[in-house]
Amino acid sequence: MDKAKREKLLDLFQSKLDRPMRTYLDVCTRCGLCKDACFAYASVPKPEYTPVWRAEVVRRIYKRYFKLSGRLFPFWGESKEIDEEALKQLNQAAYTCTGCRRCMMYCPFGIDTQAIQAIAKLLLIGNESEPEILSMLADASIEKGKSLDLYKESFIQGIKNLEKEVVARWKGESEQVIPLDVEGAHLLYVALAGAHSIIPAASIMNAARENWSLSFFEAVNFGAFVGDPRKTQLIAKRIIDEAIRLKVKEVVICECGTAFRVMKHLVGKQPFEVSHIAEVMARYLREKRIRVEKDRIKGLITYHDPCNIGRYGGVIQEPRNIIRALSSDFVEMEPSGAWNYCCGGGGGLAATGDYGQLRITMGKVKADQIRRTGAKVVVTNCYNCTTQIRELNDKYKLGIKVKSIVELVADCLEN
Amino acid sequence: MSEEIKADKTMDLKGLPCPQPVIKVSKGIKEIQVGQVLQAVTTDPGALSDFPAWARTSGNEILKTDQGGGLITFWIKRLK
Repeated sequence: MDKAKREKLLDLFQSKLDRPMRTYLDVCTRCGLCKDACFAYASVPKPEYTPVWRAEVVRRIYKRYFKLSGRLFPFWGESKEIDEEALKQLNQAAYTCTGCRRCMMYCPFGIDTQAIQAIAKLLLIGNESEPEILSMLADASIEKGKSLDLYKESFIQGIKNLEKEVVARWKGESEQVIPLDVEGAHLLYVALAGAHSIIPAASIMNAARENWSLSFFEAVNFGAFVGDPRKTQLIAKRIIDEAIRLKVKEVVICECGTAFRVMKHLVGKQPFEVSHIAEVMARYLREKRIRVEKDRIKGLITYHDPCNIGRYGGVIQEPRNIIRALSSDFVEMEPSGAWNYCCGGGGGLAATGDYGQLRITMGKVKADQIRRTGAKVVVTNCYNCTTQIRELNDKYKLGIKVKSIVELVADCLEN
Repeated sequence: MSEEIKADKTMDLKGLPCPQPVIKVSKGIKEIQVGQVLQAVTTDPGALSDFPAWARTSGNEILKTDQGGGLITFWIKRLK
């Protein structure tokens, strides 16, 4: 690696070295508690899948260039040059970690391995060796924000074509079945850019007589998946600008954990509230704005907490309230809530199909956890989790149905 | 209408949710030569904005888009 490239990468590293990050990098005692917390290591017990190792590949570069001992005596201790081998290790560490943060819950110092991986990702982006597909998707999302007028009419027509399916689920009267661009709407719903995410939610919000508008933009933030802070903000800004233009009071994020994390925690204070769709559905049920038929869904149901929505986002009780309103037959996974194991599909791994076999192997602990419940229906709340658990179902022959919580409510609506 | 553009490769992406169609197309376009045309058939309405945005950023050209019968069909020319 030439000097200019190395200096560029070290400048990027330096940009992340605030006080919390220095603490994370300085205080690890290698006690190993994080290893037993990690779903990947529980499924594939190899050292390279422990959180402490994932952090260590970053920490050794830190020791080499940002600690006095490493600068004076680079041959001493475990400091490491930033070179092609180091970049390869960083890639393996950062993009096979889903960023679930379960390790952080067990670490006595609260070391945030996900935040440390953000350094690894930034260096890989600086080296142009990040997963190409994630950057390509992030660029396409940003482009969509810049050139919305070019696609607006055909998108409106595409959405119009979904209306029959919305009406089939909820037959009530509504002026606009899937409203778009409604100035003064109470709520802006940000879906994934697909029928699977739009139709069930539209049925529910129409049933609740909500004054809502569908966003022109998809919720998912590929800038966050790839680990590029600038692209993350540009992608989020499209939705923020739309929400401000329409003067909505609430931005509601669909079943996408990363999108919820970004909009709820990473974009600063905005003139609207940010909610997850599960919080909104729980509110509709509590206020009796929607009616559902209990036990229309047959069989024992369990719930998988998506990491970004449960552990990170704190939306833990609402999904349970919803499921208990729909079924008398609910069982918790063990552990669950903030302590739940990641399914293995986060961090863009399920969305892009990269690391396919490893992803399924790493999901073994989740498959075992589901099997132990005896449930026939697994409900979840994030499309990465849905995709991953469906694949785990096929691979580990779990014999379950996997449903998104929004589909579940839409399927049980009473007209 | 569709007979007007000859496709060198066709991808059936029906039923795949976002973002799979655009991911598969970005891989599929590398399997044809520059100047050739890829036809992609999807049911995902998100593709109506995803595909043109992807084409602009990846330097490819959408020659035509057709909606009908619940299907959305794109003809995409590889430019580089």
